[in-house]
Amino acid sequence: MSEVESHINVGVINCMVGDKIPEWVMESVCPERMRTMAAILRDPNPLHWDRDAVAALPLGLGKRTINQGPLGLSYMVNMLHEWTGPESIKRIVMRFPQVVLDAERVVAKGVVTAIREQGGRRLADCDIWLEHADRGRLLEGSATVALPTPS
Amino acid sequence: MKAIPAEAEIAALIGHQFPGGTYKIEHWENFLLTGCTGAQLLPNGIAHPVALFHVPIMGSNTSIAEMFELGQAESDLSIIPESYDWEMFEPLKEEVTYDISGKIIAAERRINERGQSYDWVQFCFEMTSPEKILSARSIITWQYTRNTL
Repeated sequence: MSEVESHINVGVINCMVGDKIPEWVMESVCPERMRTMAAILRDPNPLHWDRDAVAALPLGLGKRTINQGPLGLSYMVNMLHEWTGPESIKRIVMRFPQVVLDAERVVAKGVVTAIREQGGRRLADCDIWLEHADRGRLLEGSATVALPTPS
Repeated sequence: MKAIPAEAEIAALIGHQFPGGTYKIEHWENFLLTGCTGAQLLPNGIAHPVALFHVPIMGSNTSIAEMFELGQAESDLSIIPESYDWEMFEPLKEEVTYDISGKIIAAERRINERGQSYDWVQFCFEMTSPEKILSARSIITWQYTRNTL
């Protein structure tokens, strides 16, 4: 699923430990969205809107802007919503080992690591990550979602 | 180079409480936020969970800039986000006014694998619904790097 095809249509899910979560693709990370996000967040960090500031860092990133951490995380939220529904996410823990740059194609991925019952609900624990074809995992963490059940 | 703050000054941040306050995610804000993520608007007035980064910060009457300053960041560029831990006990909704509190729950000097000092600070924010139900908790962990840029 990509942002263009994005929709939420979740039925009952029968999953097992080891199952892969359907991927969610951001075809090109958009610098204009970073600017909008920076304004909403009142985030003064120029790395998100000033390519010259990024180029001046001793990181060899060139004239690119760096995506906000929460935005990269949101791609995995979108993946989970499309898998288990818009009210399903109970917890997300995310780390940021690498930056996400404008114009990059990134793919949200995940795998089920445990299934358990809690409070009458069936929960799935998952490893989730954001992957770049050349640079590997840019963000990685875990999530717990409530699995849809028959109504 | 900017002077590195004393380790005791960093440790003294533990327990720092933000003023607290309220925040309502208005429809226009959720619309723009959701668009930034590449998703379509969620049904039934559900706010996109990406709001769990900035809403607790603003609602507790602080700001990203003040959080930088509290840890004596040497520049806006010197902060590295280590992790975000978001717990959602119920879906966040547009046009609902949440009570929000926030405080620093951990702060200490650490050394990275290259032998460089940095300061490790954890902020915890909680959002409570008008029905007095804990709706969400956000724990932000940042590294304040020192003299690395």
